[in-house]
Amino acid sequence: MKEIRLSNVVPEIFAERDDLRSGVWCGDVCFERGKSYLIEAASGTGKSSLCSYLYGQRGDYRGSILFDGVDISKFNTEEWCRVRRDSIAILFQDLRLFGELTAIENVEIKNRMTHCRTHAEIETWFEELGITDKRDVRIDRMSYGQQQRVALIRALCQPFDFLLLDEPISHLDDQNSDIMRDIILREVAKNGAAVIATSIGKSMNINYDKRLKL
Amino acid sequence: MNLIWKLLKQHVSIFELGVFFVANLIGLAIILCGIQLYSDIKPLLVGENSLIGSDYMIITRPVERFGQEPLRFSGEDIEELHEQAFIADVGAFVSSEYEVYGGVVFSGQRLSTMMFFESVPDAFVDVESRAWRYEIGDKVIPIIIPRNYLNLYNFGFSSTQGLPQITEDMIKRIELDIELSGNGLEEHFRGSVVGFSDRLNTILVPMSFMNWANERYADGSDAESSRLILEVADPASPELATFLRERGYVAEEQPAESSKAMYLLKVAIAIIVVIGVVFSILSIIILTLSIYLLLQKNIDKLENLMLIGYTPRQVASPYVRLTIALNTAIMLLGIGLAAIAQQLYMDHLSLLAAGDLPCSPIAAIVAGVVVAGATALFNIAIIRRKIGQISRKR
Repeated sequence: MKEIRLSNVVPEIFAERDDLRSGVWCGDVCFERGKSYLIEAASGTGKSSLCSYLYGQRGDYRGSILFDGVDISKFNTEEWCRVRRDSIAILFQDLRLFGELTAIENVEIKNRMTHCRTHAEIETWFEELGITDKRDVRIDRMSYGQQQRVALIRALCQPFDFLLLDEPISHLDDQNSDIMRDIILREVAKNGAAVIATSIGKSMNINYDKRLKL
Repeated sequence: MNLIWKLLKQHVSIFELGVFFVANLIGLAIILCGIQLYSDIKPLLVGENSLIGSDYMIITRPVERFGQEPLRFSGEDIEELHEQAFIADVGAFVSSEYEVYGGVVFSGQRLSTMMFFESVPDAFVDVESRAWRYEIGDKVIPIIIPRNYLNLYNFGFSSTQGLPQITEDMIKRIELDIELSGNGLEEHFRGSVVGFSDRLNTILVPMSFMNWANERYADGSDAESSRLILEVADPASPELATFLRERGYVAEEQPAESSKAMYLLKVAIAIIVVIGVVFSILSIIILTLSIYLLLQKNIDKLENLMLIGYTPRQVASPYVRLTIALNTAIMLLGIGLAAIAQQLYMDHLSLLAAGDLPCSPIAAIVAGVVVAGATALFNIAIIRRKIGQISRKR
């Protein structure tokens, strides 16, 4: 997938508002492969809604979202599964990890489906992110910051053209945030992919190609 | 261990599945025993070939005293029979109203005898032969004789008299000399046996020949028939038996007693099977509710799995496998129970039968596969549907 285009997109709940001042909603925005974008937003401006639209979780918007020119409102379940497996990786704001499984199992449940990463690669990320000792601990026994790092590793266990990061470092200190950034930039460069990150204040220290105000 | 299963087995209720398992097993075992019992008892009550022959029956009005003219069926009688819902078709036997002599030349000697012909409409004739047709002017009359005659000769007569046995083909090659007389005429035809009937116990000629000959050698008056052949949906039906009794008609070779027994058997088995079906339906409802509850409780996990790229089919597969495993186990146990029950009742049944009864639970196996298969497919459809709904929830 080469580009994601938003044409006149606005969440239905904002559709009737005429005081909307946004760099994304109701405009023409194009995200291209290979570039990096930061979407800055105050809370309640629809940041997570945007991620949900791009990931096919929700469809309560007006306007059209096009993946390489194809309107995603026409996608069926199978096509979304393919997009989620091969084209768009996401780090959810609410992580969506499985509390009953251990950290490594949460990563494996994805990697066994995509067969994308080796054990060694995964172990290296655990090490770099400083959570090797949590490898076999159940997710619901871990802190949110630790869970965030597990969720990132899981997100990277697939091929992708776009990496959506919904407030990726909200619970990380600067040191861990930089480690995460390094891993992300490395993998994004390897895939030639784009990064689309959102933030309500704290953002990863990247030289973004474009900053958009939601 | 499979991670998906580790995740999705949460909230699987052993108790609910246990109730389903036991209830469905009881239901299936009852159904299978009923069906197996029916298939084992049926051959005891109904003679061989009944599958072919039982759809037809021949009725007469009884001869009550010596020398009495046989009672005949009037046009109204036939009309009334036609109107009965349990009678599909009625055919009248037409007899020859003229004299028939049949002869054969046998090692130089001519043997000849008086005989008679009868006809029924072609739809009632159970012999398929291209030779079974007669057109006016033909010198050869096709004839069908009862297979009984041949059996009687082969197994009753020839073997005790040291005579050679004859085959159907040999009889078909014999040329009969037929002499018809009446109305001042006397004419010769050739007769040829074209087939053997299991259903019609008479010497048959085609209706077209009979009509023509009755016209030519007799006065051709539309004679009423003393025998009728009926095509019936169920020869054991009580309405039919009651109707025949009320009209004073007698069915030839109608196994009256066994048809009553057959009817009672059907009623008894139907009750048993209905009880089994009720059990099964209740158990399927339990499982359906249990599946819905299970999927509802795991809805977040199902949703998240599909969000990280699993297809609905992959997500459904642990539950589908669970269902298949449950139903397979129930099927095998159900068939096993039916087979054990069969062993127990067969000891009693074999006292009734002359020879050894075949004792294989084929009917139970077939029915078990069908019922358990249908249950599993129904369960799978429910699972797929529910997961499909979750996947489309946006």
